[in-house]
Amino acid sequence: MNAILKLFAAAVLLAMAHTATAATVGPVTDDLGVIRIAKGAPIQIGGYWVLSGADTALGLDEKRGVEIAFKDVGGKVLGHPLKLNAEDDGCNAEGGQTAATKLAANPQTVVVLGPACSSAATPGAPILWQQGIVNICTACTAPALTASTRKPEYAGFARTVFSDSEQGKADATYVHNVAKAQSVVTVHDGSPYAQQLQQVFADNFKQLGGKILSQEAIAPTDVDMHPLLTRIASEKPDLIYFPVFTAAAAQIVRQAKDTPGLEKTTLMGGGSLLSADFIEAAGPSVVGFRIGYPDVSPEAMGKNYPKFVDEYKKAYNEAPISGYHANAYDGAMLAIKAIEKVAKEDKDGNLFIGKKALRDAVFATKFDGISGPIACDAYGECSQFKASVLEFTSSDPKTFGIGKNPKKIWP
Amino acid sequence: MARFNAVDVVLWAMRIAVVAVVVIGTAGTLIKGRYNAAQWFDFVMFGLTIGSIYAQIALGYTMVYGVLRLINFAHGDIVMTGAFAGYFIATPLDRSGFLESHPVLGMTAILVVAITVSTSIAVLTERIAYRPFRRVVGLAPLICAIGVSFFLEQTFRGMFGSAVKSYPEPQWERAAFHVLGFNVPRVDVLVIGLALVFMGVLYLIVQRTRMGTAMRAVAEDGEAAALMGIDVNKVVVFTFILGGAMAGIAGVFYAFVYKQVYFLMGFTPGIKAFGAAVLGGIGNIPGAMLGGFFLGMVESVGPTLFLDGIGIPAPYQLRDLIAFTLLIMVLIFRPQGLLGERMARRRA
Repeated sequence: MNAILKLFAAAVLLAMAHTATAATVGPVTDDLGVIRIAKGAPIQIGGYWVLSGADTALGLDEKRGVEIAFKDVGGKVLGHPLKLNAEDDGCNAEGGQTAATKLAANPQTVVVLGPACSSAATPGAPILWQQGIVNICTACTAPALTASTRKPEYAGFARTVFSDSEQGKADATYVHNVAKAQSVVTVHDGSPYAQQLQQVFADNFKQLGGKILSQEAIAPTDVDMHPLLTRIASEKPDLIYFPVFTAAAAQIVRQAKDTPGLEKTTLMGGGSLLSADFIEAAGPSVVGFRIGYPDVSPEAMGKNYPKFVDEYKKAYNEAPISGYHANAYDGAMLAIKAIEKVAKEDKDGNLFIGKKALRDAVFATKFDGISGPIACDAYGECSQFKASVLEFTSSDPKTFGIGKNPKKIWP
Repeated sequence: MARFNAVDVVLWAMRIAVVAVVVIGTAGTLIKGRYNAAQWFDFVMFGLTIGSIYAQIALGYTMVYGVLRLINFAHGDIVMTGAFAGYFIATPLDRSGFLESHPVLGMTAILVVAITVSTSIAVLTERIAYRPFRRVVGLAPLICAIGVSFFLEQTFRGMFGSAVKSYPEPQWERAAFHVLGFNVPRVDVLVIGLALVFMGVLYLIVQRTRMGTAMRAVAEDGEAAALMGIDVNKVVVFTFILGGAMAGIAGVFYAFVYKQVYFLMGFTPGIKAFGAAVLGGIGNIPGAMLGGFFLGMVESVGPTLFLDGIGIPAPYQLRDLIAFTLLIMVLIFRPQGLLGERMARRRA
């Protein structure tokens, strides 16, 4: 019995040790604890993105955006070098959980940027916030993450990317008013991103007077879409809306062309498909395929965006490989500005950052980012949304370029 | 009079529930009449196509299990190696126009390269990873097989990247036959037809050749076979050659039908083919073929036929559930698998 009690006490102590608690360290007192960075030591910023698998371009593009932001501030903040500890989350819940746990276990992690996928952010953000670490997401767009009804464990979560509540509404408006589709079938893959986006789309499309024939679901690893598409063909939709990820979306695009009854049906996907990898995966069928996406044309972005693109090309010898680099850059800048606001130095040159103070600073910071104005609301939504629809024009992955392939067709 | 315990009651309740869903769902779907004959025909063709690929992969699992009593979890990844090898020859052939103008020669070249690579890797796997564990009792060989699976996946990821690569799509493959008003895609006919031919050849090798006889002898009793002068190592290598060849063919067909190759592509079909091998009666070659076709058909036709009629929304997300539920049901009624009894009787 004693052994059980000891074990229980040890577990309680362990749990307490792994939760953010109030502390006074050096000149800083903070409700969630204080991070001490020794003189000359790096400010460690965590990052988790999809860096392997079919959706690599999505995450790698954002990581590069962060790296350029670090470079633009001279690689240092308040005399301390910036260090990015990037983890691969595989764009799934298990990966997000593992990456967040690893970053949270490092007591020097000041703030975490990313991920690209809502599936990873949904379990990842609460793990980080349990340690008082702010998570600034750079591409996860699921509405629930910044909804007014979100749970307290997401209080440390903010994002420099739009919510799909805006994207879904814009896509529904385009499909109903511009593409003139009256009946739609939606397909999701069970991920928070796809499930919530297609639901927002369906709700708005119905409000506009359109008809949702059915809301289908697949697994992200599904390869044979023929039976599903044959089933959809029996409903004779004007358009199929499937904001899923690269591998599954490419299969739908390819196989729909061969499915009797769907030859003339319009296909539309989501922002996760803006990459050369998707063009490669979808092959010749990609031509004419459309995706709903925030407007990232130079005229819609912040005034420094063209300069950023030049830097990107110079640093990586290629144009941006996906579409969220600007959001990632702004996420990094938001973190840096917040750190500059709250960090305090003692007489020996050590730096002290209060965790709650940093969270409050992130939520209060406003600036003109390269993706547009950045200003967070009370639930961590910091980005402004401008809608657009893009259409792929060539099946050659080398022609990928936002504005060229795919080109903007609306507004 | 036999007494029922709680487990029996639950099992019978499950059986009744599954049978009820199948019967009521099928009746409901057919009464609704949402699908025409051409669409039902398409469902069956899709099922036969993926089923023929599962069957070929399942043969690799079942032969290795038959001879070594080892579940070769890396077999799905051997399929992936074949698909990759095929991709690297298919892409230049397509770009040069050779695959378009000489489909038979082009496909032969792709299959030869894929089979060579997958067979070589299968044999190396046996020699390096499995043979040292041959006499080890317990879970070590199984863990080793899982390790080999990860090794192959990550090696191919490191060598060729993690992005999805697109298989060529020649014009001749896109065409379709029109038979009695039904649309029959040429690629499906090719894949099903060639799969049946290759499986037939494999069956004849196992049943009619000296090496095949030796394989069956080792499968029955390895030690007795060795005492009779059979070189067991040679037989095991031959088994991996056959399994590797079928994996290479399956990899090429899978990639030609679904047009994508990437380092994790072998995992899901590998698991399903293992299920097919168990369903057919693991260790039994015709059983693996039957299990593959059964699984493919249930995956393709099942969600629509069973669930549409009872109003389940988005039934295709449940296709694996349906397939594996039916697999479990079959195993409850026939624990030895569909054709497992034949081998058991022979052994007896």
